Amino acid sequence: MKEETPTSKFKWCNLILIITMTVLLIRLWDLQIMRGSEMRKLSEQNRIRVKKVIAPRGIIYDKSGRVLADTRPSFNVYITPEDIKDFSQTVDGLAKLLYVDRDDIIDKLKAASRMPPSFPVKIKSDIPMDEVARIESHRVYIPGASIQIEPKRNYPFGKMLAHALGYVSEINDEELKAKEYKSYSPGDYVGKYGLEKNYENYLRGADGEKRVEVDARGREVRTLDIIEPTPGNSLHLNIDMDLQAIVEKAMENKKGGCVALDPKTGGVLVLASRPAFDPNKFASGITKEDWKTIALDKTHPLQNRVTQGRYPPGSTFKIVLALKALESGIINERTTFICRGGFPFGNRVFKCWKKGGHGSVAVHRGIVESCDVFFYNVGLKLGIDRIHEMAASIGLGKLTGIDLPGEKQGLVPSPGWKKKTYGQPWYEGETVSVAIGQGAVWLTPIQLAQLASFVANDGVTFKPQLVNRIVSPEGKVIKVFEHVTNSNIKLKKETLKLVRDGMRGVVNEPGGTAYGSRLQTVAMSGKTGTAQSASLEKGGQDHAWFIAYAPSEEPSIAITALVEHGGHGSSAAAPIAKAITENLFRVRTEIKEAKTHENR
Amino acid sequence: MRIDKRRLYHLDWYLIFNGLALFGIGVMNLVSATSSFYSGSLNFIIKQLIAFALGLILIIVITHYDYRLIAHHSKWFYLGGLFFVVLVLIIGLVAGGARRWISILGISFQPSEFMKPIMVMVLANMLYEKKRENIPLSLRDIIKPMVWTFVPFILIVKQPDLGTGVIIVLTSLAILWFVGLKKSTYAVLISFGLLTPFIAWNYLMKPYQKMRVLSFINIDADPAGFGYHAKQALIAVGSGKFLGKGFMSGTQHKLQFIPEHHTDFIFTVFGEEWGFIGSVVLFALFISFIHRCLKVALDAHDELGSIIAFGVASIIYLQFTINVLMAIHLAPVVGIPLPLISYGGSSLLSTLISIGLLLNISTRRYMF
Repeated sequence: MKEETPTSKFKWCNLILIITMTVLLIRLWDLQIMRGSEMRKLSEQNRIRVKKVIAPRGIIYDKSGRVLADTRPSFNVYITPEDIKDFSQTVDGLAKLLYVDRDDIIDKLKAASRMPPSFPVKIKSDIPMDEVARIESHRVYIPGASIQIEPKRNYPFGKMLAHALGYVSEINDEELKAKEYKSYSPGDYVGKYGLEKNYENYLRGADGEKRVEVDARGREVRTLDIIEPTPGNSLHLNIDMDLQAIVEKAMENKKGGCVALDPKTGGVLVLASRPAFDPNKFASGITKEDWKTIALDKTHPLQNRVTQGRYPPGSTFKIVLALKALESGIINERTTFICRGGFPFGNRVFKCWKKGGHGSVAVHRGIVESCDVFFYNVGLKLGIDRIHEMAASIGLGKLTGIDLPGEKQGLVPSPGWKKKTYGQPWYEGETVSVAIGQGAVWLTPIQLAQLASFVANDGVTFKPQLVNRIVSPEGKVIKVFEHVTNSNIKLKKETLKLVRDGMRGVVNEPGGTAYGSRLQTVAMSGKTGTAQSASLEKGGQDHAWFIAYAPSEEPSIAITALVEHGGHGSSAAAPIAKAITENLFRVRTEIKEAKTHENR
Repeated sequence: MRIDKRRLYHLDWYLIFNGLALFGIGVMNLVSATSSFYSGSLNFIIKQLIAFALGLILIIVITHYDYRLIAHHSKWFYLGGLFFVVLVLIIGLVAGGARRWISILGISFQPSEFMKPIMVMVLANMLYEKKRENIPLSLRDIIKPMVWTFVPFILIVKQPDLGTGVIIVLTSLAILWFVGLKKSTYAVLISFGLLTPFIAWNYLMKPYQKMRVLSFINIDADPAGFGYHAKQALIAVGSGKFLGKGFMSGTQHKLQFIPEHHTDFIFTVFGEEWGFIGSVVLFALFISFIHRCLKVALDAHDELGSIIAFGVASIIYLQFTINVLMAIHLAPVVGIPLPLISYGGSSLLSTLISIGLLLNISTRRYMF
């Protein structure tokens, strides 16, 4: 047996040292020389991440430049799946810190599962400062979570003009699959209602990109370079926010809609629908409860009553009959019918609203005092076809083409329609109902505003237009909306004069149905309407209508006001139009006076 | 304290300069490694330098007393060390899920680190006579050394500080090998060695330790946890390429992709910033240093000095090798510092004490 000497032990040691050095050097050679470039690339990818810089949406202004929708900075919480170390730690931690449901977070992550793991998934939007602080102080424990400061849609007027402005909210799964939203990714905001939806392509800017260096927790350490986002284009509306505010105030706690047009251009000056919703709630990621309250609300706050609400027009429809009857010579200024408070037809009696009757009524008093019997007679003489024809040429029962999505068509019945829908012939008795805007006549307030415009503007109407022009972020005008003629009917001067005198009398003559809403400063013309509502809600009160234009001589505004279950048009709807006109022309007079003063 | 000029002349300057070179590289590397911390580098560097200054004083004190005297009293150091190790288990500070530090008068230290040189002295003192007589150790002879090793080992692993425990056991085994073993003893130790993995896996290891082993075997088994860190460490070292990214320019550690990059994973910082060239120089310095330690053992005046010097060489060799192998994914992740390079006062002091023992032995090599 060979004795081990102390020196042989040292030889072993030296051998071990040599082996160690060799192993280490081979490994380093492999790592740093053979695979060095690959490893260098991995380390770069590790730290460089491309992040989206969200472009601010275009601003929406009213006609005098007041901001109706803009963007403000908000804090949004994201999870970058790639940076998660322990899934349940991050998800549970975040759920606790943000008071959200764990399943909601997982749903959001699932929705974005087709994106690469480095794609940040938005978990909660617009969190308050205390939640920002909580997350920042706990972020070591929730790797993968981050807070981004991003532009958020902001509607400074809250519920005002909500139905016209609409709202934006996060794009959903179905939309993402649709072709038109090809350029969108999960978490993007998209206009879902109103102008925000209609002008999405203009309002949406082009998102920028920045390359940032991030640390192992996905925190940004520094920005390497940035492609600035391009903000969206601005919309300048025809809306006059002063008038809008007056209408909104007048309609507070009421249900209904009000719209005011410039009859010379079709520009929409006021568009109010009540009850309304707060678009800000959608912009900051509406909560499930909030959505439920709005969606299940029986008063339908999401319905734009002006363009989507269909109601029997009631007596306002008499204007259509008067126009047609005079124009076709069926009646003239002096044609009279006797009103005894009722109109027997077939085996029933159609009543006039005035129990005692109006006596002998010609067209002027028929309009002014809204005599039903007069128009029963006119209606029968005209026949349903001619009524339908006139209504259609004014644009009633047709889309007005207002620049809002989801407009409803309404209906002016005709024998053809009835045959097609019910397979039944038309009965004369139905014409009697239609004559006073009942029966199967269903119109939207915007259509009746077109009727007022039609009279005000000598038989010419324009497509109602909310947006006046689109302006780029640099201030360049991209698009100006030219007036689009909807109807252009040559009417006899005599016809127009008689109807306009009648409508002027409604407001300005004693006995006129809207005499209570007359003004000292300016002459307003109008027509009241009280339509029987189908539903028995609120004690079955009738819908109150008022259509108007002003000034009577040289109209510059056409108005429709509708109050659901408001009772009489004269008491419920006319004061709203009065408020608008009063305010509009008081201001105008003041300006005129000031100018004359200056000139002096 | 009178300094003997002849001893000063016999000081092992090779060892000193080699050690200083390593420590210098360590401090420089630490500046970069700690620069990304919120508190900045300065705080770390100052603490490290204070520990170094303290270590120098200890070296002078240790060198002053004859190592035979120190080894003679090593039992008391051993008991003192054990006392603190037990104390850690009772009043230790918890950090990162382990109870490894105790704080006395505001200074916190890690007693397990000091058990390394103490174990070397105790075992040397126990075994040098056998070595002198050149009798291979029988099974009976190694019972006492093994008991003395396993008591601190179990206490330290309980903290848990598996890294230090492993170093202590391996150093003890190296010393036993160095003293000489009978064939039967080899046989028993080897068969124990073969059994250990099974016993450890089934009865001793904690789930996170098993995870480390699993992720060592398959780096992608746990991409979010230990495997992830191991991968990031590899990327760091590899991305250094031939010349490295340059001092202070490493991104992997600055961006916190690697945990403990200023302590156990310090080599990833160095490898990333100094590349292949720098790493070769660093390794050469370590190998040269260890080789010099072995030379002290070889030239020692007596077997006691020889065993102590060999033990110290083993400690440094084992820590260096395992630490680097771990960083380049050739060994599972275990908390072992890189001597003179890693941040940590206790580890640095322990290494300096060991070097003090070496200097002590080398200056007395011509003693009669």
